[in-house]
Amino acid sequence: MPAVLVTHADEPLGRRIVKTLFHDERVERVLALGAGAAPRSFDRFLAGSPPRVAYARVDLAKHRPMADLFHSARFREAAIDTVVHVPSHGPSGALASKTHAGPLVSGVPSRTAEARLVLQHSLDARSVTSLIVIGSAFVYPLAPGNANRLSETNELDLDPNVPAEIRSWIDCDMVFHAEVGNHRARVVLLRVPTVVASGGFVYLNPALSGPSGLRLRPIGFDPMCAVVAEQDVARAVLAAVHGGTSGVYNVAGTEHLPLSVLGRWTRRPTVPVPDPVLRAASFAARMLREPQLRASVEGAHLRYGFSLDTRRAERDLGFRPGYRVGLGRAGDGRVQLETAPV
Amino acid sequence: MTPTERLFLDGVQGEVVEPAMGPLTALGSDPFEAADLAEEPFSERLERLRPAPAPRPGLLRGVPSATLPPPRTRPRAPSPESMPRQRVWATTPRLAEVEFAEQSGLLDRLVPESDRRRLAALGHLVDGEAPYDRFGFSPGALRAAFPFFLALYRFYFRVKSEGHENIPAEGPAILAANHGGLLPFDGAMGIVDVLLHTDPPRLARAIVDRWAGRLPWVNVFYARVGQVVGTRENFSDLLEDGQLVFVFPEGVEGIRKLVTQRYRLQRFHVGFIEQALRAGAPIIPMAVLGSDDQAPILFDLKPLARRLGLPVAPITPTFPWFGPLGLLPYPVRYRIVYGEPLRYYERFGPEGAEDPRLVRYLANQVRRSVQSLVDRHR
Repeated sequence: MPAVLVTHADEPLGRRIVKTLFHDERVERVLALGAGAAPRSFDRFLAGSPPRVAYARVDLAKHRPMADLFHSARFREAAIDTVVHVPSHGPSGALASKTHAGPLVSGVPSRTAEARLVLQHSLDARSVTSLIVIGSAFVYPLAPGNANRLSETNELDLDPNVPAEIRSWIDCDMVFHAEVGNHRARVVLLRVPTVVASGGFVYLNPALSGPSGLRLRPIGFDPMCAVVAEQDVARAVLAAVHGGTSGVYNVAGTEHLPLSVLGRWTRRPTVPVPDPVLRAASFAARMLREPQLRASVEGAHLRYGFSLDTRRAERDLGFRPGYRVGLGRAGDGRVQLETAPV
Repeated sequence: MTPTERLFLDGVQGEVVEPAMGPLTALGSDPFEAADLAEEPFSERLERLRPAPAPRPGLLRGVPSATLPPPRTRPRAPSPESMPRQRVWATTPRLAEVEFAEQSGLLDRLVPESDRRRLAALGHLVDGEAPYDRFGFSPGALRAAFPFFLALYRFYFRVKSEGHENIPAEGPAILAANHGGLLPFDGAMGIVDVLLHTDPPRLARAIVDRWAGRLPWVNVFYARVGQVVGTRENFSDLLEDGQLVFVFPEGVEGIRKLVTQRYRLQRFHVGFIEQALRAGAPIIPMAVLGSDDQAPILFDLKPLARRLGLPVAPITPTFPWFGPLGLLPYPVRYRIVYGEPLRYYERFGPEGAEDPRLVRYLANQVRRSVQSLVDRHR
């Protein structure tokens, strides 16, 4: 039975993955890593003797803490054979999230630095035989129109003018993609589009990331966004943990929503503005060194939509979306995005 | 045949020759224009075409095949992208089975109940909780836009149509029509006509050129009313879903015809033939009469169009003299005629799509069918 290490377990997607792994009887134990204190929702996971879930605070972007962890007795005793890397993606309860793509001392965005260290230490650790990584589907270049059907064989967007936030996802993608053919450990890269969760939460969409509030979009454009429920992302990770394949897989749900509707449903209404306003906002974001803000006002994803070809994941991982995305009424009467099993 | 150049490729000496001008022997030749084909029966031509070896890429026609090295191919495992998708066709219910709530809005009062029933049936094309398909089609948006186009259909263009029995009630099919007029009202009228004359109601998904995706507002409007940017993946997805795809195989060449070329069809693109063969979809030739009269182009300022990044920079009797209003179509009467379905897939199968000469030939045959429909009903 696999013993799994999950990074960024204190962020929304990581929490969901830990929860899914905890409830899967085929998983022996879970070691969850996070930058902050253990989330309160982990309390019942951490109970038990011995608990199936352990939590540790580690700064994944720094070499020393990572080396200490992977060479620790705790790691050895846990006999971790699968590492699930969830790149930092969303509003974190602990550390400031705006530095995901911000430069470190060496000039490398933290997301990329984390990816490199996780890969290096995972391949160095003898017990680790599987490395599963969540990537973003916004790494693909988009052609004009709403109907870009993207498969895993599409090239990555190597335009040097790509906003730093998306560039860090591309770098992260390339770091792991290069090891897909590794003979010692299998590497599975799951590219996911906009991830949504009940309660109107949205992650990994450069245009809508960050706290709720108004967003800008170019006037005359309203791109279609492929969405996937966070439960489905966790299910895809579970399928990859138990699967025996390595490779790159697109993972997406069945629904597609225009950016304006998705923004409205997730408390991030979008305001159409002319191009000069967007350019000014982009310039301001550059001056303020706010990569997330820049990605929300610049890039082809604000104009052109896409959908993902998920046949490869269906064939190799046996993954099919099991959750639907729609509107629901919350307890206080507010209408917001909800996910529900099919 | 005149040798024009001597080339060396893969160690084999070959001669580049002028394409033979006999019927159907050269890639890109146009049998439609060849006078000697007129007397030859279609079936015989197909038989002659079928066993002909496909031309080797690389301009080595004329070299005896025995001197060529064996093709460097290796067996490939089928990629998931090439796997057929196991899907259920997106179908709409028959009119008698449609359940719809009575609406009392202003727009609803403009549309007769039978037509509203048709619009309600299209809601079944969208799968899932979200009211959009992956291309951005929204039944609600179509319902909002429909009264305007219905008014154009009934009162402005006064469309008359015939041959609806040739449109399949379900399953994948391709409508191939002639294109004309500066603005694509021929497409809009075709979509409305198909919707009003099919049971179960079918939405023709028009394939639009990629440059339309760049246009503010236009791209959103097109997507919401069910039109799709023309890529291979989208085309094959629509056919795999069992939808009715509406193409103008002339492309933008059709809309920038001068008034002197009215109703003379331009060269057809071949992508729709490949898709029809692969998906096993019949092609229904469709003649749209009236579109070439709605905005006769006197001159096309091509250098200006290139500079502005537009497909055409026209001079018409009203444009640019009356400003943007000059682009509005004249209130000509439209006539739409559907021909009998051409089921090439039954004869050639999906592998026929791999033969460029066959595909080109079939495209010319479709063009010939549409042209004959146009000529007969003009």
